[in-house]
Amino acid sequence: MKTVRIWFQKTGAARFISHLDLAHCMARALHRARVPLWYTQGYNPRPHMVFALPLPLGVTGLRECVDIKIDEEAITEEELARRLSEALPATLPVLAVTEPQEKPGKITWASYTLLLEPEEGTAEELLEKFRALLAMPEIPMEKHTKSGMALLDLRPFLNETEAFGEEGALRLEAFLPAGSEKNITPFLLTEALQKHQGARFFARVSRTNLYDGERKIFA
Amino acid sequence: MNPQLEKIWMKVQKPGRYTGGELNSVVKDKSGVDVRFAFCFPDIYEVGMSHLGMKILYSLLNKMEGVWCERVFAPWTDMEAMMREAGIPLYGLESGDPVSDFDIIGFTLQYELSYSNVLNMLELSGIPLLARDRRGLSQLVVAGGPCACNPEPLADFVDIFFIGEGEEVDCELVELYRRHKSRNSSKEEFLREAAQIPGVYVPSLYQVEYGEDGLISGVHPLEGAPAKVTKRLMLDMDRSYFPESFVVPYIEIVHNRAVAEVFRGCIRGCRFCQAGFLYRPVREKSPQVVDRQCRALCESTGYDEISLSSLSTSDYSQLNPLLDQLLTWTKEEKTGVSLPSLRVDNFSTELMDKISSVRRSGLTFAPEAGTQRLRDVINKNVTEEELLKTAATAFAGGWNSIKLYFMIGLPTETMEDVAGIAQLGQKVVDAFYANPGRKKGKGVSVTLSASAFVPKAFTPFQWEPQDSIEMLRAKQKHLVASVTTKKIDCNYHDADTSFMEAVFARGDRRLGPVLLKAHQLGCKFDGWNDYFSLKRWLAAFDACGVSPEFYANRRRDFGEILPWDHIDYGVTKDFFRQECQRAYQAAVTPNCREKCSACGAACFHGGICYENR
Repeated sequence: MKTVRIWFQKTGAARFISHLDLAHCMARALHRARVPLWYTQGYNPRPHMVFALPLPLGVTGLRECVDIKIDEEAITEEELARRLSEALPATLPVLAVTEPQEKPGKITWASYTLLLEPEEGTAEELLEKFRALLAMPEIPMEKHTKSGMALLDLRPFLNETEAFGEEGALRLEAFLPAGSEKNITPFLLTEALQKHQGARFFARVSRTNLYDGERKIFA
Repeated sequence: MNPQLEKIWMKVQKPGRYTGGELNSVVKDKSGVDVRFAFCFPDIYEVGMSHLGMKILYSLLNKMEGVWCERVFAPWTDMEAMMREAGIPLYGLESGDPVSDFDIIGFTLQYELSYSNVLNMLELSGIPLLARDRRGLSQLVVAGGPCACNPEPLADFVDIFFIGEGEEVDCELVELYRRHKSRNSSKEEFLREAAQIPGVYVPSLYQVEYGEDGLISGVHPLEGAPAKVTKRLMLDMDRSYFPESFVVPYIEIVHNRAVAEVFRGCIRGCRFCQAGFLYRPVREKSPQVVDRQCRALCESTGYDEISLSSLSTSDYSQLNPLLDQLLTWTKEEKTGVSLPSLRVDNFSTELMDKISSVRRSGLTFAPEAGTQRLRDVINKNVTEEELLKTAATAFAGGWNSIKLYFMIGLPTETMEDVAGIAQLGQKVVDAFYANPGRKKGKGVSVTLSASAFVPKAFTPFQWEPQDSIEMLRAKQKHLVASVTTKKIDCNYHDADTSFMEAVFARGDRRLGPVLLKAHQLGCKFDGWNDYFSLKRWLAAFDACGVSPEFYANRRRDFGEILPWDHIDYGVTKDFFRQECQRAYQAAVTPNCREKCSACGAACFHGGICYENR
């Protein structure tokens, strides 16, 4: 039995699959691909499957991963990747299958691209509003936590967010805390822009990569 | 695809219902397609996607060259509100194109209380609701499924009904449509010719007359339409089309598994059961064919659970050989096999071991009535002894929870029969404690679930009145009061919805305006308790001057012309009358495997009617 890490993307219609449904979807695909899964030894045998970091509903994932345990070394990583690619819909492409270098708990940061299409005003005005948001000494936001709503100052987390003008849109490249210790969802940033600057836009959000505590790409 | 949709999906619950793009969904190049078929299920995605008939017909239609069949479900109310606000019409999941662009819009009718959703879906598509307002050949509205056996309440809205099983007749109609489309026929020309296809009912070609007493006095076919429309059926199930792949949803649905159909029809003659008569005669598939189909499905979908479907799977004559065959590969692949419909009189330890060897689910049986007298009235042919023996077998096998289904409001039922349900539940509890091998410290849970009897067309009880809502409530109360232990959990079905189901199940064309009015008043998702409002429905009846009790609560005379008399499912009206009279005497009728009772279904020249008994 060994653990392998499957790297994949969650794109198009697949970004509307919830985390739980994604797990079912992946389990069916692994079954379809005849991957020699290792099953838990319980009353209801289940394959072992751990997603590194759940993705919020509606967000595209460009480098997601899930760890599975396989029964034997009867299948190479390349073969597994090939078979699984065929078994998954085109919206869930497999990037690679690797041996995990770090535990999922090591994930500390994530990078995001947010493409904001204005629904009111121009892209330039939207950029102004974003600059005005950054100019605020404090950005008080409410955040869902396990123990209810908590107040949080978003400002310190935006130091590494850069803005770029695009054709009729505003592109933000954000680098935010992610993982089980502290997690800031990119939607907190879009909400802040709406709440504090009255901006109206439609946001297309992608998580582009995952990083560890040393800001090295998670592997 | 409307670009607005993406924004809406971000805001609604479970957007996976509306995105399409699932594994095995069929996308075709529009330039090579000349007939576009919107297969509409008048309920939400999770319900519709669980339906086997839709999977069969979706695959079959898409196998046809030049035909593209897409799926359409009723959007949940949050999605509907946003679509209306944004001005987005209902669309096919495969292409995202508006339903109004399609040639044929087909509804499957599984439940009378989904009729309001049929109208709502047409409206959301921007398609005129009334058949007579749709003048062109395209936007042809067709409907099939079990509720099409009494098509009359929907006659104003639907152009064509399919009577019986759709595998052949649907394709024949699509071919006819294609020919008429290419030569630019009028809708009238097309319908006239369509009515000549066996199993096709064109309601506009039948004129219904009513007498002064409010009863139907005559039904007259026009323009050469047949006086009786006889159902279609697949006689050779081994050769009947069955899909090798299912569309696999991204989200969890009600029944998310591979489904194999082991036979059609039912050998039993339960007198309340419409399906038991509509699908006669019994036609089995051979175990080799079922096994092959199961393997193909599991391979194409990745499902690790197979459900062996039929009206009564433990009546499948080849059940043990089939399970043995399946177990040769399912065990190794960690695939579970479930039997959704078991009978108490043929449940064995052997069977139990086979279905539990991989994974086990709950056990459910349907004695339907609480006393032997009433079970004989409905011809359930199940004894208390058999039920208790089965319960003991299950308990000995380690189960500790059993669910039992019953009906209340059955013909001739008394309060003693209702109390009998609770008493039977108690005996099952006692059977658990009588089991010497039971694990100490483990309790038993028996669930008694009571629905309200709804008299249906094409059953021996088609002339029977339904109990009034007040009487059903009194019986429900009596049932709850008769349960004296916490080990029994008792639940019952809402009487209001059963009343409305009874009205539409045996309604006639005069319900058309009521349905339209109810739709205008906002009725939809009537099968969902949160949305059903009897008050709103009664307002619709009131506004149209129609009495719902006339349809639900009136005892009909054996000589009366019934609204569905011009539809023929093979079983004769004489047989139903005989069976009704035998019910009053609590006389049971043997099942089709024991002895032929000459119901009339032999007219189809196949199935069990022609097998050696």
